[in-house]
Amino acid sequence: MNALQRHRALSRIWASDPGWRGWCTSVNHTDLGRMFMAVSAFFFIVGGILAMLIRAQLASPRSAFMGPEHYNQIFTMHGTIMMFLFAIPMFEGLAVYLLPKMLGSRDLAFPRLTAYGFWCYVFGGAMMIFSLLAGIAPDSGWFMYPPLSSTINSPGINSDFWLIGITFVEISAIAAAVEITVTILRYRAPGMSLVRMPIFAWYALVTAVMILTGFPPLILGSILLELERAFGLPFFQVAHGGDALLWQHLFWLFGHPEVYIIFLPAAGAISTILPVMSRTRLLGHPWVIASAVSLAVLSFGLWVHHMFTTGIPHLALAFFSAASTLVAVPTAVQIFAWIGTIAKGRPQLHLPMMWMLSFFATFVIGGLTGVMVAVVPFDWQAHDTYFIVAHLHYVLIGGFVFPMLGALYYWMPHVTGRKTFFKLGNTAFWLIVPGFHGTFLLLHWVGLLGMRRRIDTFDPGQGWEVINIIASVSSFVMAIGFALVLIDVVVNAAVAIRGSRDPWGAGTLEWAMPTPAAPYNFASLPQITSREPLWDTPELPLQLARGEGYLGDPSRNRRETLTVEPTTGRPEYIVVFPGNTALPMLMSAVTGLFFLGMLIKAYWLVPVAALGVLACALVWTWGLQRPAPEGPLPVGRGLSLPIASEVAHPPGWWGSLFLLVADGTFFGSLLFGYAFLWTIAPNWPPQQWAEAGLLPVALLIGGTFLALAASRVRSLWPVTCAAMLAMALAAVMVLRAVPDPGQHAYAATVWVLAGYAVLHQGLALIMAGFFGATRIAGHAPETTGGLHNIARLWSDYAVAVSVMGIGAALLPGWG
Amino acid sequence: MGTVLRLALPLTAWLAAFSAIYGLNGWLCTTDLTDAKARTVLAVAVLLAVAMQVGLFIWLRRCDWQAAGPTLRGVALTLAVVALVGTAWTLLPGLLLSRCV
Amino acid sequence: MSAVILTPVLLTGCDETLSTVHPAGPAAAVIAQLWWVLLAGSVVITTLVAMLVLWAWRRPEGAVSERRFVIGLGLAFPMTVLAALLAYGLIIGEKLLPHQGPEVVSVTAEARQYAWRFGYADLPGRITDDVLHIPAARPVDVAITSADVIHAFWVPRLAGKLDAVPGHVNTLRIEAASPGEYAGLGAEYNGPGYRGHGFTVIAHDPAGWQAFLQGEAP
Ligand code: HEM
Ligand SMILES: [Cu+2]
Ligand SMILES: [Cu+2]
Repeated sequence: MNALQRHRALSRIWASDPGWRGWCTSVNHTDLGRMFMAVSAFFFIVGGILAMLIRAQLASPRSAFMGPEHYNQIFTMHGTIMMFLFAIPMFEGLAVYLLPKMLGSRDLAFPRLTAYGFWCYVFGGAMMIFSLLAGIAPDSGWFMYPPLSSTINSPGINSDFWLIGITFVEISAIAAAVEITVTILRYRAPGMSLVRMPIFAWYALVTAVMILTGFPPLILGSILLELERAFGLPFFQVAHGGDALLWQHLFWLFGHPEVYIIFLPAAGAISTILPVMSRTRLLGHPWVIASAVSLAVLSFGLWVHHMFTTGIPHLALAFFSAASTLVAVPTAVQIFAWIGTIAKGRPQLHLPMMWMLSFFATFVIGGLTGVMVAVVPFDWQAHDTYFIVAHLHYVLIGGFVFPMLGALYYWMPHVTGRKTFFKLGNTAFWLIVPGFHGTFLLLHWVGLLGMRRRIDTFDPGQGWEVINIIASVSSFVMAIGFALVLIDVVVNAAVAIRGSRDPWGAGTLEWAMPTPAAPYNFASLPQITSREPLWDTPELPLQLARGEGYLGDPSRNRRETLTVEPTTGRPEYIVVFPGNTALPMLMSAVTGLFFLGMLIKAYWLVPVAALGVLACALVWTWGLQRPAPEGPLPVGRGLSLPIASEVAHPPGWWGSLFLLVADGTFFGSLLFGYAFLWTIAPNWPPQQWAEAGLLPVALLIGGTFLALAASRVRSLWPVTCAAMLAMALAAVMVLRAVPDPGQHAYAATVWVLAGYAVLHQGLALIMAGFFGATRIAGHAPETTGGLHNIARLWSDYAVAVSVMGIGAALLPGWG
Repeated sequence: MGTVLRLALPLTAWLAAFSAIYGLNGWLCTTDLTDAKARTVLAVAVLLAVAMQVGLFIWLRRCDWQAAGPTLRGVALTLAVVALVGTAWTLLPGLLLSRCV
Repeated sequence: MSAVILTPVLLTGCDETLSTVHPAGPAAAVIAQLWWVLLAGSVVITTLVAMLVLWAWRRPEGAVSERRFVIGLGLAFPMTVLAALLAYGLIIGEKLLPHQGPEVVSVTAEARQYAWRFGYADLPGRITDDVLHIPAARPVDVAITSADVIHAFWVPRLAGKLDAVPGHVNTLRIEAASPGEYAGLGAEYNGPGYRGHGFTVIAHDPAGWQAFLQGEAP
């Protein structure tokens, strides 16, 4: 079989459906990555138009362009769209597109999950756009502080759009994060050990884990606030034992890491592009890895710096002020490592490199103003003024948008397979960068002159007029620049001439394939011996195309790739991917009905849709099961490996594990919220604690031991189911013993704790039942071992959260 | 996987200690302990956190790094030092300041 | 206090009533001074980094010392600067807190959409709407709370801001160096009336304050 025949055979196996059907049924990461990036670019345009409206309104004092009702929706939606519908999905899209190509894999770990996440993003985003067009968009600011956002002060549907729409979109973030984590840890080319992994993958790994642990507090907060709005459970109402500050803690527990979730991928792009543009290797590579990890974890200990003015004791503020200064250190390490890289190399002023330089010119200032607001007394003045608006745009645009524009021009030849021909991009650069500084630099000063953020207009005479008109004019210059970038991309993609395979002379694997990439990425998978395979073996692309790597033989006629042991990169097993299907799109549409039912208060729709999602999920997973074992199969180069369905810890187990990391963070945040209300909220203790007697405790303990034992023995799956039912009964008995949840936040919290426990008992029951079904269907024990381990994981988790959740609910009643 | 966990462990321990001590102070302010006693409790907690980080550093040094190689061992030890310094940096200055105002 | 004298010199000819860089009391003055220090430091660091990039760009290809870049510039340099800054900030912050003292006057502030209501410990029962009376040159503790959503109490020329959170009482120390009127703002977004959510602080000389306490309408 020659290279062309192999290409044809693999293309037949991997191709997406032709025409418009392909959009709906594709599960290919190249397609979905491009779709993700295109949709997030669309949202950038929408957010940008809103920004222009803001600047038009603020161009002159006493502006009559729009009133506060509209202005409030517009700035809220500008912030919300930019953060949730542009920045995060843009990272997801880039990672989805690039990672398998950089890691030497043929697709991401869970192709259908990629598609499901994408459609959740599209449908959730559509909800938000609808609210904007209908003039009922959220208007409480992008951090939605209650009680302003709660029913009393926002009776309309506006806040519900935010809480429900954003939670829907968050599903895509969690899905992508699970996917990216498992892919980076396992789906690499043989020989690609952790140390040989490209630096971008390190950043993406760190970012994905941050999404898994950063988003759950926000999802929890959104659920609690929606429960308060819809059913009157008073989590944030101080008169009923709630506390408005709880929301701020939950929001910023998410919100600060969010900023680094946005910055780190951009830093990953810089660490990848800048050395290539300087014709050298990254200086201090291990230090950069250590910095990325440090930034990721440290950023979870900063959330209170957004709450310096809420009346928290100085000692506690000092903890967070110190942590906020400390986080500047790993940032500095990276910046100086990059500068050192330029110094040791031979830098060339291509367009991607120009964007890297604009990053330095902007982000350094944003970082320094960040250190300023980390100093508590200064923040007391600067907080909620235009100083903060300026600071956050220096960080977000300088630290994300500019590097991403560099990434755009760096990887565009890869996506389109064409040479960048027209030089519109250079003109755009010279409009955007000065335009940006013209817009935001002086806004720091106007903030110190007392201009608060979020005011819809202002009176003359405070020295603000000149600065605001400069800002507005510059922002339009910047907008023209962005429009030019758009035109540039479209024109280049459409009409430029075909380019060479590796135009920048990069060393990473994504350039070891013909561009635009074939649906299968690599005709055969390489054996990796260093971090820059293409620099060591320039003829690698040819070897791979000739099928000299692994899995070069398409005769099994199905989509296959390899996984490795995470640390050493030793090949472990073969994964067989599913084919094209519309199931993910269908399932996310049904998920959308679930959220829609809550939004329009058609509560009958909610359980129906939930059952629909469950049905889809069962069909989905049943299709993965294989009745008969295949044993080890040859993968080329004299190696034979088992397939994923016959190993103890298949990809599904890893996916479950990381999903449970997110789930566990959610539960931890819930326990934190409970403890917070208990110690800090006024109007505690409640009039009455839950006292449920001994029976539920006995059921819980009995169920625990039963489940722990039974889930470890294959034939005892019905016992696991029974144990789950017993624990669910305990939860229901506790609920019957609590007073009215509308009266006090304690009772409301007990409802959430018990509900959470019951949900997971149900999930564990379904898993055990699903495993039972494979046994009844007569599947071989060799192919169900992994499934058994997955069911056991969920069972153990259900036991843990039931004991902790119900225990915590009953704890005060015992004292 | 073990390697990845070892990289993440010290800083995660920092985060846990940091949040716990922040919570501890919040709780202490709701009790009627004298200032001196409350400060002693906090100081002991901080010292325990520092000791834990020292312990983690020593443990990581002794771990088997055969599979992961010397580079990642270096990264892990660096991160352990970051966590140790971070514990002192973030928790010590606060101890001198007003506790509940 | 040097900043109080210094800043008007730097910014002559302004009459901004909401400016944090035109302080009219000790707390705002200390913070304004902090700002000028921060600004100066940042300008120096930005310049240094810019020069370093320029140098790196023009330097011929060749190995550089990883130690110098990562440990020297990346670790040692920021840690020294940040440690000093952290100490500076915390010491100032501690000084600005509402510590007890003989001279301290206590008032209360209750925010609502879209008004402010003030009460006086020395004059029980007396309520003023949207105007807060204080004695000049004496420390005043404002006990801040809210009747509905979250607001913030902010008199930019006197001190930093502090939130009004329903169910909580937060205390802010303010002081006006000399008698006069100072503009105050609600500084936490609170709905459609946010822009107009302001108030006035009137600082009296000793005689005026006595008159106010006597119940005379000022
Ligand atoms: C394209 C140029 C942009 C301009 C001219 C612009 C302008 C503005 C302005 C003037 C505000 C303040 C509105 C107010 O407080 O009344 C604002 C708020 C905000 N912007 Fe932008 N922005 C731009 C891009 C971005 C980007 C790229 C992001 C994020 C990735 C972003 C995130 C935010 C956020 C989070 C807020 C706060 C919203 C709130 O207060 O609720 N902006 N923007
Ligand atoms: Cu932050
Ligand atoms: Cu605020």
